[in-house]
Amino acid sequence: MDEQGYLLAALIARVALRDRAAFADLYDRTSSKLFAICLRIVKDRTEAEDALQDAYVRIWRRSSTWRAGETSPLGWLCAIARNCAIDRVRSRERPAVNLSEALEIADPDPGPETSAMMAGELQQIELCLGELPGERAQAVRAAYVDGYSYQELADRFGVPINTMRTWLHRSLRALRACLER
Amino acid sequence: MVSDDSTDKEEDIDAAAQYVLGVGDTASREEAERRIAADPAFASEVAAWTERLNPLAIVYGEEIPPVYIKQRIEGELFGANTSISRRPVSTIWRPVALAASLALLVSLGFNLRSALEPSGGPARLVVSLEAADSPVKFLALYEPRTRAVRLSQVTAPQQPASDYELWLVEGSQAPVSLGVLPRQGIAQIAVPPALAGRFAEGAALAISLEPQGGSPTGAPTGPIVASGALKKI
Repeated sequence: MDEQGYLLAALIARVALRDRAAFADLYDRTSSKLFAICLRIVKDRTEAEDALQDAYVRIWRRSSTWRAGETSPLGWLCAIARNCAIDRVRSRERPAVNLSEALEIADPDPGPETSAMMAGELQQIELCLGELPGERAQAVRAAYVDGYSYQELADRFGVPINTMRTWLHRSLRALRACLER
Repeated sequence: MVSDDSTDKEEDIDAAAQYVLGVGDTASREEAERRIAADPAFASEVAAWTERLNPLAIVYGEEIPPVYIKQRIEGELFGANTSISRRPVSTIWRPVALAASLALLVSLGFNLRSALEPSGGPARLVVSLEAADSPVKFLALYEPRTRAVRLSQVTAPQQPASDYELWLVEGSQAPVSLGVLPRQGIAQIAVPPALAGRFAEGAALAISLEPQGGSPTGAPTGPIVASGALKKI
């Protein structure tokens, strides 16, 4: 784990011990990243703020369930934000936003710390996505980054929902096999 | 049988992948969350997929949220105006304020134990447990009012067929076992009344690696993988 990961791990451990100062510190260090996630998925500022609130409430309440050996601290935090944002959009219809607008909502330029930390792994997953047929790789990426459902993806890619299920099912199996090579 | 098991495992991995990717409907997501809470093997598959796909999160970039969000979160979790301060405004008013915020928290379905914690009382002790050349690190908090030690993992690699065991170490006396730590999550350890008086600044906690189930002898038999002195907070 790098220095940033180690610091976040220590903060999550303190939050699990109900340390409010650590919680405030963790918020200050990670809320920009998590807010960008909420915005990108929810695509509405007010609702993204609600999703961010859900996320930190969940982080406080579930901090003791973080599995230190299995998930990186930032990965765990990002997953909570994605889940809170996705849960929110699943319970309603999302406003229709085309992809180029959506890209403008969040600045795609990561901070230097994040890039350094993820560069190696990013390269790995990009290589593995590159082995998939083009549209299927795009579907995996759109599902992850924008939190689209099977139905939304099927509509976007103009295929029946069962075809989309098959695409993603096979793509994820291929991706796992590739990443574990 | 063997092929059934491996088919089940493949299906679990697929279900974990679908959950992490986030493509399922609300019902399937709730089902996955129930399984994460109830089935550690499934939770591990979810953690593995979280790690596999996490590099894609780099495209999100960063966006600073409005300042009032933090206050809203702290308000929801800790009640109004508690902020992060632990110091009560006035001892006389404390029970009233506490009762009021408890009522609020109960109405929100909030965990009572957490709500009680920030009120004053005897000094709590905190210790960071670590050791040079050891990947194991824990944080522990001793609450004198409840005589409970809570430990939280910072980094704690799982060792096959082994358990971590917690010890109270004081001066030249023999270490006293406080119990074996659970494999994940928070350890909550009740300190026997006879030992409570020994929890003070200067005493130390240590963690040793022991055979599964803990030391068979009552004294540490494995290496001390982390330790630290108790400090007041």
